[in-house]
Order: sequence, then C-alpha cells, then structure tokens
Amino acid sequence: MTGLLEFREKIKQLYSRGEVFIIPIIKFLVAFFVLNMVNGSLGYMTRLNNIAIVLIVALLCSFLPNGAIVFFAALFSLLHMYELSMEVALVGLCVFLLVFLLFGRFSAKESLVVVLTPITCHLGIPYVMPVAMGLIGTPASAVSVGCGVVVYYLLMTVVNNATTINAMDDETTEKIRLIIDGLMNNKAMLVLITAFAITVIVVYLIRRMSVEHSWTIAIIAGVMAELVILLVGDLLYDTNISVLGAILGVILTVMVAKVIEFFRFCVDYSRTEKVQFEDDEYYYYVKAIPKMTVATATNTVKRINTQTRTSTASGDGAVRRNVTTERTGYYQDNAQRGRGSYNRRNEHSGNSRSVTINSNMLDGDDDIEYEDIF
Amino acid sequence: MLNEERIILMTQMAAYEENEGKKNVSIGNYFRSDYIAVQMLKSIVYATIAFVAVFAMYIFYDFETFMQDIYRMDLLTFGKNVLIYYGVTIVVYGVICYAVYSYRYAKAKKSLKHYYQNLKKLNSLYGK
Repeated sequence: MTGLLEFREKIKQLYSRGEVFIIPIIKFLVAFFVLNMVNGSLGYMTRLNNIAIVLIVALLCSFLPNGAIVFFAALFSLLHMYELSMEVALVGLCVFLLVFLLFGRFSAKESLVVVLTPITCHLGIPYVMPVAMGLIGTPASAVSVGCGVVVYYLLMTVVNNATTINAMDDETTEKIRLIIDGLMNNKAMLVLITAFAITVIVVYLIRRMSVEHSWTIAIIAGVMAELVILLVGDLLYDTNISVLGAILGVILTVMVAKVIEFFRFCVDYSRTEKVQFEDDEYYYYVKAIPKMTVATATNTVKRINTQTRTSTASGDGAVRRNVTTERTGYYQDNAQRGRGSYNRRNEHSGNSRSVTINSNMLDGDDDIEYEDIF
Repeated sequence: MLNEERIILMTQMAAYEENEGKKNVSIGNYFRSDYIAVQMLKSIVYATIAFVAVFAMYIFYDFETFMQDIYRMDLLTFGKNVLIYYGVTIVVYGVICYAVYSYRYAKAKKSLKHYYQNLKKLNSLYGK
C-alpha cells in the first residue's frame, strides 16, 4: 500500500509541476480519440476521415477550452449526417440544440461527459460513467449523463438506418420520421437514462455519508442498482441486454471506480500558480510553486546494538542480535495535512518503521539490555 | 519596501481570482436580482430557440398531412394551442432556472466571503 501511495504522490507532484504541458497533451489525446471514434462509427463524409484534419482539429482542441472538444465532436457528427442526408443532419442539429441550450448551460463544466458517455457506451462499458460522475460530480451530473445517452442513441439510430436512408430518394418526411421514431420509441434509451440517473444519485448520496468505506459502499451499491434497473428494464421492455456483458461491465466499472477513489485527492491539489498583479509601488510577477510531499523512498538503514556474545552458562550458544531500523517514504511536508482524515491516515502509514530483530537466543539470556532505539 | 505578508496574501487572492474564483467574482459583481434577471432572460431566449426547433420537427414529422389539413383546421385554435405549449415550456424552464441560479448566487457569495475577508486584511496591511 505504501508503494501505491508513493506512486500517487509522485503522479500528483508530476502533474502539479507540469500541468502547463500535461493538460494540453491530455486534451489532444481525448480530442484525437473522440474524433477518430466519430469518424469510425459514422464516417460518411470521406473528406473528414483524413487523419491530417483530425490531427489539426485535435491540436486546436489542445489549447482551447474543454467545450471545444464537444463542439468539434458535434460538428463532425453533423457533417457526417449531412453527407448521409440533409434531413438527418437537421434532426441531429435539433437534438444537439436541445441538449446544449436547455441542459448544457447548467453543467458547462461537465460538457465532456456528454461526449464521453456515448464513447463508453460504444466501447461496451456504459456503467462506468454514472458511477464515475456520482463519485466526482454532483446529482446534477445525472443530466449530463442522460444527455450523453440521448446523443449515443441518436448516433446509433443514424448508423442502424443508414442503408434505409440511402435507399430513400426524395422522401424528406420519411427520413425525418424514421430518425425521430427510432429515437422516441427507443425503450432501451429510456431504461438506460433512468438507470444512469438513479445510479448517479445513489452513488453521490452514499459517498457523502459519514460512514467508513463510504466510497466503496457507494461504488458497489451504485453498480448493483444500475444492474437491477437494467435487468428489470430488460424484463419489462425486452431491451436485449446481455447479462454476461453487463456483469463483465460491472466488474470493470468497480475497477475503474476504485482507481478514481485512489486518485480522488488529485482533484484537489495545489498547483503551480503564475499570477500578475500590482499595487501603487510595484508590478508583481509571481510564480508560486507548491511545497510537495516528498514521497520517494529514502531508505536509511541503521544498525544499532550489533553484538556477539558467547554465553558461558550454557557453553555452546552464541547470541547474535541485530536491530535494524528502516525508514521508508517519510513525508516531510505538512502542506498536504489537514485535508481529511483519510489523508492523515495514509501519511501515517507512509511514516512507518519496520524493525527486524534477528536473534539466535538461548534460554537464560534475558538479562541482555536493549538499547532504546525508538 | 517589499512586504512579504502582503505579497503572499495578494498571490493567494490573485490565484483564487484566476481559477476557482473566476466565476464567483463575476457573479459577486451583480446584485442578486440583477444576476437572476439576466440569467432568466438568457433562459427565455434559449428556451424559445429550443421550442422553435422542436416545433419545426413536429411540423416536418407529418408535413404532408399538416399541409393537407391546414386549409381545414381552425388556425386560431392551433395558434392558441402552440402559444399555450410555448408558455408552459417557458414557465417550467424558467422555474428550474430560477432555482438553479438562486442556488448558484448563494453559493458564489458564500465562497467569496473568505476572499472579501482577505481583501479587508490587505487593506489594513496597506494602511499600516
């Protein structure tokens, strides 16, 4: 466990020092992945499938705000839909408008969730997003996750009906009706939205409780609630949910959620600040670097009281007593303290000493004095 | 002379203004009623655009039947119904927005409390 905590501290240190470079790189990778997924699943406009365009747009997203990824993902989807049929693009535009105008403004910070939810659904692990958002978000995240599900089913409806739409010539109304019916009469979508919304709220409520292991309980309760609602939905509406797939997804979700739980304090870290301000006398250009907890294992092995004695009483026994103290990963800085009992507890475990006493003792040697090493 | 205490305080405040406090500071510049009124106006505009989009989809969904019936239907009643739906949409969305933005204003003010305290402290440091 100490090793893992050291690893976490190292990542935290690396992240807060190199935030200026790491965030754009992460944004670039997310944008690149998202746009490739859009091109891979829709891909009707061949000009957009060019890797150079994807790279340029991803590069653009790397230094623009998070919303840019969402904007370009929506734009790419709409252009692909437009290539398929203008009517489909119109329906798509309406759905995106509803999502962003009505719901997007309440949770602008979580706009990326609307993109990541369809991706996790596409990858077959839809259970991850609601649990993750319950852990790091608020009950309002249920709206973002729900919008993500709507977007996913819109794209799926387009993909599934692409051949039919291509076969239709000038039947404008028919095309619109096909997509709207596919979206509105989709019981699986309603079941998924209900399951996700309830999961987000259940996970959020339980993890805020002041009980021990509330996060673990929240994760397990969340995935169980999700699974039960999906299975009930499957029974009621025959949504064809694969039970084996659902169980595998749940196991994966628990693993991802545990990773989030482990890194949760990284969300609230002290970052390097570069600020400018002025008063009447000076201009100040300040770069404030946080004092970081030194978590690297600085092992100091100290041997104390090594002695060899030959016992005359028994005549044959040699007493050898080695006392070794090891200090691993001592946390020097107190800056991170006071951020909750969990942190303090972890630091305590990082400040552990291991004592090894090797003795080859004989009876009657109790009179040997130990040096007080602690 | 450079005053270390002042610089630390100003750095903390500047960091707050640039990161988590950015939105709060801009909200804090408004009176509660002004802030909520501006947000409500925005909400009405957004809800109107969304309603127009949905209405257009509704018309296109059954465009041929609609065009056939348009000469026979009572346009006044139809218009009235559309207006009632529009009104209900605006009112429901407006109530939700009012609740959300009232909560956000209260939250921002609470978060700014510490910032204002620091501001007072800084002022007293300059007064020395």
